[in-house]
Amino acid sequence: MSFFQSTTAELAPGSKSRRRAAGGRGTRSGPLAVVVLSILIAAFSLLPLGYVVVMTGNAGWATIQKLVFRPRVGELLFNTLALVLITVPICVVLGIAGAWLVERTRLRGNKAWAVLLAAPLAIPAFVNSYAWVSAIPSLGGVWGGVLVSTLSYFPLVYIPVAAVLSRMDPALEQSGASLGLGPWQVFFRVVLPQLRLAAAGGALLVSLHLLAEYGAFAMMQFDTFTTAIYDQFRSTFNGAAANMLASVLVLFCLLLLLGESKTRGNARYARLGGGAQANPKRLALGWYQVPGQLFLAALSVLALGVPLFHVVRWLIAGGAAIWTGSALVHALLQTLGYGLAGALMTTVLAFPLAYLVIRHPGPVTKVLEGVNYISSSMPGIVVALALVTITVHNVPAVYQTAVVLVAAYALLFMPRALVNLRAGLAQAPKELDEAAQALGKAPLVAFVKVTLRLSAPAAAGGAALVFLGIVNELTATLLLAPNGTTTLATEFWAFSSEIDYAGAAPYALLMILLSTPMTYLLFAQSKKAAGQ
Amino acid sequence: MTPTIRRAAKAPTAKPAFIPDPGHVTDHLLVSGARKSFGGTEVLKGVDLTVAQGRTTAIVGASGSGKTTLLRLIAGFEAADAGTISLAGVEVAGPAAWVPAHKRSVGYVAQDGALFPHLSVGQNIEFGLPVRGRAAAARVGELLEMVSMDPSYARRRPSQLSGGQQQRVALARALARRPQLMLLDEPFSALDAGLRVATRRTVSQTLSDAGVTTILVTHDQAEALSFADQVAVMRDGKLAQIGSPFVVYTRPSDRATAEFLGDAVILEAWMEGSLALCSLGGIPVRRPPVQGRVHLMLRPEQIRITEGGSIRGRVVDTDYFGPETTVRIQLAPIAVDPGKPVDPHQPVGGEVINIRHWNAMLARPGTELSLKVVGEGVVFPWSE
Repeated sequence: MSFFQSTTAELAPGSKSRRRAAGGRGTRSGPLAVVVLSILIAAFSLLPLGYVVVMTGNAGWATIQKLVFRPRVGELLFNTLALVLITVPICVVLGIAGAWLVERTRLRGNKAWAVLLAAPLAIPAFVNSYAWVSAIPSLGGVWGGVLVSTLSYFPLVYIPVAAVLSRMDPALEQSGASLGLGPWQVFFRVVLPQLRLAAAGGALLVSLHLLAEYGAFAMMQFDTFTTAIYDQFRSTFNGAAANMLASVLVLFCLLLLLGESKTRGNARYARLGGGAQANPKRLALGWYQVPGQLFLAALSVLALGVPLFHVVRWLIAGGAAIWTGSALVHALLQTLGYGLAGALMTTVLAFPLAYLVIRHPGPVTKVLEGVNYISSSMPGIVVALALVTITVHNVPAVYQTAVVLVAAYALLFMPRALVNLRAGLAQAPKELDEAAQALGKAPLVAFVKVTLRLSAPAAAGGAALVFLGIVNELTATLLLAPNGTTTLATEFWAFSSEIDYAGAAPYALLMILLSTPMTYLLFAQSKKAAGQ
Repeated sequence: MTPTIRRAAKAPTAKPAFIPDPGHVTDHLLVSGARKSFGGTEVLKGVDLTVAQGRTTAIVGASGSGKTTLLRLIAGFEAADAGTISLAGVEVAGPAAWVPAHKRSVGYVAQDGALFPHLSVGQNIEFGLPVRGRAAAARVGELLEMVSMDPSYARRRPSQLSGGQQQRVALARALARRPQLMLLDEPFSALDAGLRVATRRTVSQTLSDAGVTTILVTHDQAEALSFADQVAVMRDGKLAQIGSPFVVYTRPSDRATAEFLGDAVILEAWMEGSLALCSLGGIPVRRPPVQGRVHLMLRPEQIRITEGGSIRGRVVDTDYFGPETTVRIQLAPIAVDPGKPVDPHQPVGGEVINIRHWNAMLARPGTELSLKVVGEGVVFPWSE
């Protein structure tokens, strides 16, 4: 019975009970207000994609031919594809190798390595690029892009894979061994297939980041679709050309999503059956301890050592002069302000959908979730382009105001809030709300005292991750920030664009400092989430 | 059902105020014609139920039969599509009335206890109390003692309690507001066997001491029979039978109910007057609904292995369970009186039946046994 209540949610026209349901009583498709709100938020999140589709549709075939089929686009296509096709496999190999060493072998100091391998996420890719370019000024081209983005993004594979490995049921490996497989065969035939989902999810994230990244590649003058769209927009405000490039970029994103969902299929690798789960057995490394340690040390030096060394080098070179003036304080305060406002708004906007997903799953909810999944994979440059054009033409009153920038942040970082809120609401089952009502609390009071209270920690975690995203966001902020608004990222960008590497260093340091605790939070959360 | 049905007053928002009426038992809960569908599936198909003041009723049925839905309608977590629900004479749900869950004065204990994980045991119990501070603390201690727990447990977190303790805290929390009606939704099913019996006894004792009208939903027929004064058997969205545990067990209204409530021996039989002729001879039946071809139902414990019994059977095989053994016995065909004309539809008998016996040594396969039947049988109209 409760199965029906929770799974056959749908919007049916008003029978007597349905009309009552709208008034806050028992209901399956969710309170009408929440459903309507979720649909509005989903529609809002479709703005960038809708913008690209409409613009491409309006351009006409002749324009598309002229703007898309030309050597410049071919060059961008080659750069972008080469970048993705080379970087993603390297990230997957590094991520899995690192995770396996840390989680499944008796590697000395594996607790410390576990944190160090996730830590590069605290360094924005464009700061990493800045460090590498100041170390090797000639760095550029596809291989420069591959080097910097690999070092910045391999933790996106490492973190989910490590989480799955640490939770994987050792009984499966023991079964493999009892069926006559050697340790290597167990790894390739039992362990690796179970990592497929986590690795594919990580690879998707890396690919989307590669498509969306602007600063890191612009720093070394390596052209991808995103940098080209930005330049096109800045130099000419030429809508059509930028839009066409954006629609090719969006097409890439959609293809990636499709590819990832094909890999995923209906696969499910949750552990079947109950019973206590033993801790995974760790492999003794013997003499392999040495190459294992050397490998992780090299990876950490390249991904953490180089950027930190160069930031510190420039800080020392800059001396006291780079700390003077109010610009730094101004940018810090603005960044904190936008970070807080954006985190709050994103969490609030994500709440209705998260609530429906957990409490009233069904066809409507599924569609809304799918919409969010697609729209959230839109690169920052596309979101910014769409919001600039739409506000200029349709709502000039808000053009270049803080409202639009915060809206862009909400569009970009909604999934971080959503994932966390979902996990939090899952900790607050409907039965607890009902128990509170049976104890004499009105539905709204019960909701606040139980559901909101129980999901608050997860909501705060999600908000923190949104905050982290905003602190390090460059592309959309550059295009959308109101006049006079500077953030740590944009100021860093302004200094480093003028090759004032010393002047940029304090901003890089602040961004890294702000990101560090939240990267740790992300890392800790992934460990928990893998168990669910 | 007692004849003292009070007319439901049309006072939708009035707080149900029940004044106990000493002298005779009053109906506390009255459900009539309750229907409920989910997504085109009718889960409740017109349910009528009356529960007397201070009594305990068990709603028992297989999973999916609609019993939890009925409980949720009574609690006010769902609204029925049709029908009315009255508590202590006040209509709380119906075409013209709606009292929301938090104003119904109904206690509710869910399957897993549904304790608030962010609150301590004491705070959980205080949750619904109108008072705070020292008065609340005193009441918490009192309630914990009521469910046989030490007041020191008030400071613990729900996660530090065993399953049985969590259920008892959930009951204490539900009792805190002195509800008129307590609804228990399979509260013992998540507990392991030993704990289940002990927890059930504590809960049952607590509720009867407090004099609270109680409805227990369960899929466990033994639990229903032992816990309640009145058992309502739910099947396919309807109440198939309502009665005392003894009546529903020994005189089930149909075959499905008979088989749901416990092991049943079903034999082909021929009803003549008040005797059912079957492989076990002539079994007396009280008020048979039909004559001629019928199914006869006996409980296994009504069939005894005795020296010199009139019925012969041969042991097929046995299942040993320790204190008792299930013995499968091949019966002889129905003995017919050679002087009497035989109806062509008359059953031939010769079934294999399962009975229980304490002595495993007695029943080796192939042994010939003599049996006797105690008590009456129940017959159901023939169906293929």
